[in-house]
Amino acid sequence: MEILDQISDFIQQGNMDEVARLTNSTIEQNISPQDIIDKGLVSGMGIIGEKFKNNEVFVPEMLIAARAMNKALEILEPEMINADIKSAGTLVIGSVEGDLHDIGKNLVGIMFKGAGFKIIDLGVDVSADRFIKTAKENTADFIGLSALLTTTMTNMEDTIKGLKAENLSIKVLVGGAPLTEKFAREIEADGYAPDAASAVGVARSLLTS
Amino acid sequence: MNGKERIMTALEIREADRVPLYIHGINEEPIIGIGRHLTDGLPEPKKFYQMNDQEKMKLLDTLFLIHDEFDVDGITSFEIAHEKELDEKHVTDDWNVMYTRSPHGLPVATGHPLKNAEDLKTYTPPEPKAEHLLLLNLARDRFKDNKACFWLMRGAYVLSWRLVGMENLMLKMFDDPEFVHQVANMTMEFNLKQLELLVQAGLDVLVIEDDIADKNSTIISPLQFQEFVNPYNRKLVDRAHDLGLKVVRHSDGNLWPILDLLIETGYDGLNPLEPQADMGMKKVKEYCGDKLCLLGNIDCVNLLPYGTEEEVDLAVKKTIEDGGKGGGLIICSSNSLHPGVKPENCIAMFEATRKYGQYELR
Repeated sequence: MEILDQISDFIQQGNMDEVARLTNSTIEQNISPQDIIDKGLVSGMGIIGEKFKNNEVFVPEMLIAARAMNKALEILEPEMINADIKSAGTLVIGSVEGDLHDIGKNLVGIMFKGAGFKIIDLGVDVSADRFIKTAKENTADFIGLSALLTTTMTNMEDTIKGLKAENLSIKVLVGGAPLTEKFAREIEADGYAPDAASAVGVARSLLTS
Repeated sequence: MNGKERIMTALEIREADRVPLYIHGINEEPIIGIGRHLTDGLPEPKKFYQMNDQEKMKLLDTLFLIHDEFDVDGITSFEIAHEKELDEKHVTDDWNVMYTRSPHGLPVATGHPLKNAEDLKTYTPPEPKAEHLLLLNLARDRFKDNKACFWLMRGAYVLSWRLVGMENLMLKMFDDPEFVHQVANMTMEFNLKQLELLVQAGLDVLVIEDDIADKNSTIISPLQFQEFVNPYNRKLVDRAHDLGLKVVRHSDGNLWPILDLLIETGYDGLNPLEPQADMGMKKVKEYCGDKLCLLGNIDCVNLLPYGTEEEVDLAVKKTIEDGGKGGGLIICSSNSLHPGVKPENCIAMFEATRKYGQYELR
């Protein structure tokens, strides 16, 4: 559908005003919110996310794309409630205890939201208890743990141990500058992504496995 | 040769008597950990602001002692006493940026005074002050001309995002580019004035510290970097050269997308060359080792925290093999010596530089 392709294009350009105008048009044309999300927003965010992964666009372009997507979601919210739209999954995300850095974590949140997930962002310096409590309360599928520092990444293990102690099957994804796949395996994380753009793919493969 | 001569020779991309050694940044914990191999009476590891005056003096003296005992050829200084404590966890600097203290390293900017162009109308930037250069004065007094004095000056990007907020700054590059230019220009004016004070205080090497990349690429696009950041840093480079200083560019991360531009800007050196960010010594040396002195590359993410002393020794040997030929190499860790590094591995890095760094007698 041409209008959904246009929404996808304007998402990629970060043109919030055009995305808003066209999203309102789709509602007037009675196009289903699920189609608008899948073929407009998720499509646009998927394409720009891939370009980000290939270093063709950079963080500022991702931020304006996300801003345009958020505007569309805001307009669509009543329609989504009426149509009982389900998210692709729920992710509780945050920077681990002691870590005050957030740009990487925010990008991962953008990628997941752009893929149709529900995001609960707990911010920075988040304790293991708070991750687990929030994930339980929201029946989350995933907890995403971020760390920028060599000295804070060791706190990731606390959340994983806490989940095991409570016999919870919520999957844990880890990422951040100092992390390696080896470290992620050692702390028994379910998934590791080397960059924000790869994280959604890792989560999807865990959902289907 | 003394340390200063060694560093200046390397920055001119010539061979000194041996490969010089430099500490770009070091936290309290490694100063104390390494210092315990040299002196008694050090406090338990804690942050500088938690120390009493006697402990602070001891820490500073130990930092200088480490430079003396391990033949570190350059000493780093930076602004101090420009911050005010708000409460136990928060400080503000003289730009009115708020920082949250972290037990894991440097404070992180979390409160930003300039949200938009309207805020700028009523904002007065600080004036650089000679008393904030105390650390440089102390280092110069202690080492005279025997070691090169480095100064860490935050560049246009870091100062701008601290003032505006990182994500807000990026959005403003699209929404209000003039505002982004005005903020960057304001930071540059401050830095140019501070530069005059630094020269009077006897500085040798200016380090423009302006992190712009993560391990995959630059954070902003090369075009945005070219428009909003580099012109302002270039003026610092030019003025520093006019004043007879050498200039090193520091940025974490993968700098390949802007490396040609950095070379063209006229920097004398590049730091800290993170191996995890595709900035391995061999590759960078082959590409631009005849144009830029390379400072860094000894991995502080995995090797210095978790490796063995033998592995550190080998890494230094390899880095000298890959980067030492013809000069233009200064051994340094791939970023600060942070609270997670093993003191013994730092010592192994210092000793291996002496062991493998000798150029042939001339």
